[in-house]
Amino acid sequence: MSSESSKKRKPKVIRSDGAPAEGKRNRSDTEQEGKYYSEEAEVDLRDPGRDYELYKYTCQELQRLMAEIQDLKSRGGKDVAIEIEERRIQSCVHFMTLKKLNRLAHIRLKKGRDQTHEAKQKVDAYHLQLQNLLYEVMHLQKEITKCLEFKSKHEEIDLVSLEEFYKEAPPDISKAEVTMGDPHQQTLARLDWELEQRKRLAEKYRECLSNKEKILKEIEVKKEYLSSLQPRLNSIMQASLPVQEYLFMPFDQAHKQYETARHLPPPLYVLFVQATAYGQACDKTLSVAIEGSVDEAKALFKPPEDSQDDESDSDAEEEQTTRRRPTLGVQLDDKRKEMLKRHPLSVMLDLKCKDDSVLHLTFYYLMNLNIMTVKAKVTTAMELITPISAGDLLSPDSVLSCLYPGDHGKKTPNPANQYQFDKVGILTLSDYVLELGHPYLWVQKLGGLHFPKEQPQQTVIADHSLSASHMETTMKLLKTRVQSRLALHKQFASLEHGIVPVTSDCQYLFPAKVVSRLVKWVTVAHEDYMELHFTKDIVDAGLAGDTNLYYMALIERGTAKLQAAVVLNPGYSSIPPVFQLCLNWKGEKTNSNDDNIRAMEGEVNVCYKELCGPWPSHQLLTNQLQRLCVLLDVYLETESHDDSVEGPKEFPQEKMCLRLFRGPSRMKPFKYNHPQGFFSHR
Amino acid sequence: MERAVPLAVPLGQTEVFQALQRLHMTIFSQSVSPCGKFLAAGNNYGQIAIFSLSSALSSEAKEETHDGPVYSMVSTDRHLLSAGDGEVKAWLWAEMLKKGCKELWRRQPPYRTSLEVPEINALLLVPKENSLILAGGDCQLHTMDLETGTFTRVLRGHTDYIHCLALRERSPEVLSGGEDGAVRLWDLRTAKEVQTIEVYKHEECSRPHNGRWIGCLATDSDWMVCGGGPALTLWHLRSSTPTTIFPIRAPQKHVTFYQDLILSAGQGRCVNQWQLSGELKAQVPGSSPGLLSLSLNQQPAAPECKVLTAAGNSCRVDVFTNLGYRAFSLSF
Repeated sequence: MSSESSKKRKPKVIRSDGAPAEGKRNRSDTEQEGKYYSEEAEVDLRDPGRDYELYKYTCQELQRLMAEIQDLKSRGGKDVAIEIEERRIQSCVHFMTLKKLNRLAHIRLKKGRDQTHEAKQKVDAYHLQLQNLLYEVMHLQKEITKCLEFKSKHEEIDLVSLEEFYKEAPPDISKAEVTMGDPHQQTLARLDWELEQRKRLAEKYRECLSNKEKILKEIEVKKEYLSSLQPRLNSIMQASLPVQEYLFMPFDQAHKQYETARHLPPPLYVLFVQATAYGQACDKTLSVAIEGSVDEAKALFKPPEDSQDDESDSDAEEEQTTRRRPTLGVQLDDKRKEMLKRHPLSVMLDLKCKDDSVLHLTFYYLMNLNIMTVKAKVTTAMELITPISAGDLLSPDSVLSCLYPGDHGKKTPNPANQYQFDKVGILTLSDYVLELGHPYLWVQKLGGLHFPKEQPQQTVIADHSLSASHMETTMKLLKTRVQSRLALHKQFASLEHGIVPVTSDCQYLFPAKVVSRLVKWVTVAHEDYMELHFTKDIVDAGLAGDTNLYYMALIERGTAKLQAAVVLNPGYSSIPPVFQLCLNWKGEKTNSNDDNIRAMEGEVNVCYKELCGPWPSHQLLTNQLQRLCVLLDVYLETESHDDSVEGPKEFPQEKMCLRLFRGPSRMKPFKYNHPQGFFSHR
Repeated sequence: MERAVPLAVPLGQTEVFQALQRLHMTIFSQSVSPCGKFLAAGNNYGQIAIFSLSSALSSEAKEETHDGPVYSMVSTDRHLLSAGDGEVKAWLWAEMLKKGCKELWRRQPPYRTSLEVPEINALLLVPKENSLILAGGDCQLHTMDLETGTFTRVLRGHTDYIHCLALRERSPEVLSGGEDGAVRLWDLRTAKEVQTIEVYKHEECSRPHNGRWIGCLATDSDWMVCGGGPALTLWHLRSSTPTTIFPIRAPQKHVTFYQDLILSAGQGRCVNQWQLSGELKAQVPGSSPGLLSLSLNQQPAAPECKVLTAAGNSCRVDVFTNLGYRAFSLSF
């Protein structure tokens, strides 16, 4: 509160017990200032402590007076009113004092506040000033640091070192005398030099670029020239083909073959190489060719990254088409087809035999099973009329069966395949053998694949040495097989007509006159052979497997009928055919009840080596049949005459025999001696 | 009924040939070693196999001994004598088990014809004289002295080849049966034919549809049993009359007396045991479809190996430890 307001206040009556004189004095003092009563000035003069005492005293007085009034009021009386009045006045005075004190207190308070406020304002002002200054200081400091930190771009350039600079720069730039002393000038000079150098280098760069462009253009031109050369060379090679053929040097053809051979899978490649080598070295009649589509073979080998992408794509596709998934059976079929997939390329071998018949062998490779199979076909120079019984001889299914003993080609030779088959539900490979070809063991060996008997191996590598060691034997066996089959073919045609074709160089084995005739020659099924009552011994000895071919021959003379059941092993003629006989004449005689029938069987089965004839022994079967006719003749003619039965002997003895019976088992003379022409015993 | 099919073994040329040989093998003769522990068997390929009866394994040794079939064998106390195509050879039993055993000696009786070498069908030891009697294809009986090896006598009389011989100890006489249907008795001291029995002429036993040949003979001093084409008959020798005819249709190839039985074998699987009265006591089947020889191991040195062995139209020798059944078979 300013002193102006205090001046406007009306003067007030002061009643103070303490010092009325002072009051007057105060008035007079204040009159000097003006005619204003300033209680504020009074405040300064009074002592707050004393005021406080005064207050306390006044309060006490008031209390006392109130108490006395109380008493008086309670006493009652006339005087009381005056006393009460007196006391009331006193109390009023006290109240006035209190009011004054209150006012003083307020004023003191107000003063105090004003003072505080003023001081505060001053402090605030100083504070502001301080802040401003501090701020400016900070700002200036920042600026200073900025300036100090300033890096000129020129410092980022790697300038050449000082020595170099002085060495290389021309003197008008380096200005050594100036720059040595003055670092600023030095730097400027160096920058100048840098700029100059850069300009020069930029020039050079542009020149080089243009050079490069030129050279690139030249390269293009030359490339075009070369690429135009290739078709010309090709046309030259084409043109030279007739010349090659004329000179019998089919390089081109061989070259093409080698090209395709590069795409063959390893076992087929081994086979191809070995067969070509063998053909060139030993056997000119062997020709090797590669068939199949090279593009498909190339397509089999996709790069791995692509295949990964393909997998993820196909997964996505599969998710989309889950509803359309095919049935389990179709899936299994697909899996089976996948497992039995063949490599698109195959190797074809043509073996030419002396009589111009050709054996065509096509070798396939089953990729997932890692085995090779072969399909065979025999073509002859002339059209063959197939006799009924010879149906199976040259059939592609069985012509190569058991080339080596026991190699029937119905089971897969790779033991690991069994586990693969179990996964897709294939029982055996024999169901698929007709379309896939036969997986013979010798085929695997020719392809260099060697499968150990017991444990399946992870990978079987195609081995050249294995193939080479087997090539010659196998080729020879194949040729003998074809030739013996063809010979049999011809012989069967004749046998079916009842003629036993004996060649002139085998005539010496038999007497001039043979009366018994071959009447019938038919094929017999394996099961039927097993059911015959007189073949039990052969079956028990394990000689009648299902890879053999079975025939029945019927030889007759007069009332005697001799049935011969023949087992033809695929390995004919190194393995002889086996005969079992049953004679129907005066009862049924077989090897179990007649020793002589047993001896006859022994003559053809055991002593077959004499009947082989000149090598290759294709005449074995026909000679055996002819011998059977001779034996029947001897048997019938040497049968001792039964005196009790009337009538002449049915078969008069025409053969010359020294003795009719010999030995404890009373054998007939079945051995024919040439050239004397008589029969004797072994 | 389904036949059990044996597993097909991969057969090369040699296996097939061997199998065929075995199928067509006939074992003609057997003989037991003096120690009683070994059995020798001879077959139609000229091989002799020695089987050890005590261990009963497959043959210990197999020799290619003869060029032709080995029709008969006998054992002396140290030697094995085998005969077949015209020759008789001797082997030491002690050497026989070793490989590559060579024959001790070989002898050929003097034959008349040279066109064909006649076989020797029967060998007979005469221990009293220490000689060997051979008979066979040339219709004669030859006697050979075992010490010197010379052929002492020739007994002629048969008109067709001789099948079998038997020794009548007491006299001593030799009986021989042949293809001509007669059983002839020869006295060894006088070298003459004493008696002839023409079996086929007797109606009770003759069987013309089988022929007249006598295949087997056995004698027990007064009695003789013979068979072959005619029926198996028991004869009383002195009176030359057939006393019992054994009712078996198949021609018998070997007959022998054993204790109080007569054992016979022939065409047909079985070894037949007959009582002297003509009753069939037992028929024990063997494994061969026809039997040609029986051998009884009665050597006193090895009583534990007392067996009957039978062999014939197969490659197996059946061993009967007890006459009632076939114990096992030895394989050639």
